Formats: sequence, structure tokens, C-alpha cells
Amino acid sequence: MTQPQPDHPDTQHHDTQRHDTQPHDTQWPRWEVFKQDSEKRPYQAIGSVHAGDPDHALVTARNVFVRRPAAVSLWAVREADILMATPQELVGTPDVLAVSGTAGLYHVGIKKSHKRSMTFVDLVGAVQATGPGDALRQAHEQYPDALAWLVFPDAAKVATDPDPGTVESWFAPATEKTYKQQQYYGTIGRHVGELKRSGQMPGRVNEHPHVGEQPAVKHNEEPVK
Amino acid sequence: MTAPTPTVTELNAARTAALIRKLTALADDEIILAHRDGEWTGHAPILEEDIALANIAQDELGHAGMYLELRRALDGSDPDRLAMFRSATEYTNTRFVELPRGDWAYTMLRQFMYDAYEALWLEAAQHSTYAPLAEVAAKAVREEKFHVQHTALWVERLALGTPESTRRTQTALADLWPHAAQLFQPVEGEDELVKAGIIPDIAGVRSRWEAVMVKHLQDKCGLRMSRDSFPGPARENHTEHLAPLLAEMQQVARQHPNAEVW
Repeated sequence: MTQPQPDHPDTQHHDTQRHDTQPHDTQWPRWEVFKQDSEKRPYQAIGSVHAGDPDHALVTARNVFVRRPAAVSLWAVREADILMATPQELVGTPDVLAVSGTAGLYHVGIKKSHKRSMTFVDLVGAVQATGPGDALRQAHEQYPDALAWLVFPDAAKVATDPDPGTVESWFAPATEKTYKQQQYYGTIGRHVGELKRSGQMPGRVNEHPHVGEQPAVKHNEEPVK
Repeated sequence: MTAPTPTVTELNAARTAALIRKLTALADDEIILAHRDGEWTGHAPILEEDIALANIAQDELGHAGMYLELRRALDGSDPDRLAMFRSATEYTNTRFVELPRGDWAYTMLRQFMYDAYEALWLEAAQHSTYAPLAEVAAKAVREEKFHVQHTALWVERLALGTPESTRRTQTALADLWPHAAQLFQPVEGEDELVKAGIIPDIAGVRSRWEAVMVKHLQDKCGLRMSRDSFPGPARENHTEHLAPLLAEMQQVARQHPNAEVW
């Protein structure tokens, strides 16, 4: 695994607005996890983990996100190293494009669809930028129709080793694991459809309001003694 | 698999009986350790580790299932019956895996010591002359190699963390070390299986394991290690902790012995 990168204080200023009157977060830092399903697929954001350091983030990400799904590689990037914005945010706070930081290679991710999915952002490429704001500006220019843009410096990512041993022990077992689909458990007792077809489905209780055995209407007319 | 399969005569009655004993001992360690790990579900320090340890526990249970399927092929026994309807006196797991889960340092250290042992045993067992075992070992060793990375990482961070985490890890090592020796006790007839190349020589596995322990626990993590050797009692000889574990683990199966779907 890649060694931890030094902090990037310059890229973190968007995260410094915490008010000291609020309870401090005792969680470990949050890392965004990017998963690559196969060598031909882009890295995709699949969720986040809390972890104390880069290596811990990767083993934890493997456990949380790729016990079953196919994968060949994982990246983890600290939340503080990621700059992202939606079109609305660009209008409301255009200053985000001026966020300064280390110059270098920045990865660009975009959200393409509102459709529900296990992944939210695809990494679509990388740009040379003078800082995160500049990278975000270039991402906006290249992908004007995206629903959100996300950038982080290449130096901020930690990645699983591409060697065959890592792929074999971290990712290969997932493809052979079997599991029961949710509907499998419908075979305990009898499926509701089967009961309906055979006319055994109980009618709705209280189709007419009841008080105990007594229909409520009757109850109103003739008070129960 | 293209590996040569021993003929029926190679697995004579004595070897078959010894292999059944060995497969059952291997499976029993996995089942009991998986249960101890499973006790952390909902209680681990953070959600991510809760999921991770449950994953590890499920992998170990999966390995137990594979060993017991190998046994089924030899004597027709049902893995579920073996797991859920044997008493403490019939279980042949080590004390090492049945001891209560302790704190997080104890759990991570035990799992690390076990993962390293299992990874080394399986690595060697891939070369078994008994093809079904070689096949199972090749599958399971991959998962163990990942487990050991995860648990080695935790042991390192705890041992080198705060004074409290160091103290807890050191205490766990002092408690666990004498019991670990039991993992390397051969079962009755094991030497015959080793001679036939069916299972790896446990003494060789042990010396490789001890080298890994010294390198990680002592050299990297700065823990003090005992150099004493403890042979430990036989695998049939349990602590008072196994029976309550089995009572909980087997409760549902014993209450519904005729259940067909789980």
C-alpha cells in the first residue's frame, strides 16, 4: 500500500468552518472510497469509511464494500482532500473555484445521473491544475452538464497494491461467494401470493370499524352493556 | 483439479480415521473462533470494524464448512449435525479459540496469531497429495492472507498506540501465548498422514509461525514474548468456557431440530 501523504493544509480551508461551540467530532477521519470493478472500468465512489490512517482505510474499505462485489482495486481519499460542488453551489458560492492549494495532477469525478445506484460519482480523468479550485473549474468546463463535480490531488489518494497477491487475497474470493437473495427467505412459511391464489388469504381485519366483536356502528346505536 | 488423487488403498482405514480426526479438529477451531468473533457483532469499537470482524468470522465458518464437507466425503457425516449437536466433550477445538473474547486487543491479537498459523498451514496444505484437501486449501489460503493483514495492522497500532493500548496488548500476549502451543499438537495418527503427504508437517508450520510472531510482535510491535514452550493439554480437554459457548451457539438448532430451511 502507498504510504500516507503529508497533510495538505492549503486544500483544507473549506473544512475549517466548524464552530467551537458545537460538540467535537470524536470519529476518526472520513475517507471516500473509490472502487474499480475491472481494469477497463472507471473508479467509482461507493461510500465512505472512518479510519485512523491510510492502510486502515483500505482494509476497512475492502471489508465494508467489496466482500461480495467484483473489484480489482480500491482507492481511499480523505474527505478533507476532496473538493466538490454542484451547479447550484457554483452559482451560490463561486469562490469555490478560487480555492488554492498545491499544484499538480488532480483526479476529476462527475455525477452523471440521479438514478439510484450503488455508486454516485465516476472518476472520468485527471487534469493538471494550480490547485483544487482550478481543477474544479476545469472539470466544470470539460463536463458542463454534470450534476456534481469532485476533484482531489493524485498525491492524496492511497491505493491497494496492484500485485497479483493482493488481487488474489483481497478481491478474488468475492467472486465465488454465494449468498441467499432476500426472497429466498419467503419459503419460510408460505408466500403471500400462494395464500391469495388458494383463497386462504385472511380478509382485512376491521374492514368495518369494530369494538371488540361488536361492529362500531352498532356500538354507537346500542351501547354495549 | 489435475493433481493426482490417492487411490482407495492409499487412504487405508487407519489413515481415513486420522484424516477425519484432523479435519474435525481444524473445523472445530474455526467454528469456535468464529463464534467468539461473532460475539462482537454490534459491540465492536466502530461500525466498520464490526462489519470487518463479522466478515472474518464468516470466512472462518466457511472454512469449517469446507473441512466438514471433506469429512462427509469420507464418512457420510452431516456438517450441520456435527456443528450443532455435539457437546463440549465431543468438540476437539483448542483452548486457544474457546477462551472468552476479552477486550479488543485480546480479540485482534488472538485472531492475528490464528490467521498467521492458518495461512501457513493452508499454504503448505495446497501441496497435499489428497486432491480434495489441496483444492480447499488453495481456496481458503487467499482469505487468510487478507485476514492476517487486517489483524497484523490492528496489533501494530494497539501495541504502539497509547500506554493503555500497549499494556492491554502485552497482557493479551502473556495470556494467549501458552495456549497457542495447542494449535500445533498433532492428532492421533497425524504422523502417518504427514508421511503420505496428505497433510503438512505441523512442526515445520510451527517454526515458520514462530518466526512470523517474533518478526511482527517483537521486532515490529515491541512486545515482550515468552520463549517458553507449553505443550498444553489434549484437544479433548476444555476449559469451563466451552460449554456455555456451545449452549448459546446451538440453542436454536437444538430447539428446532427438524427445521429444513435456515
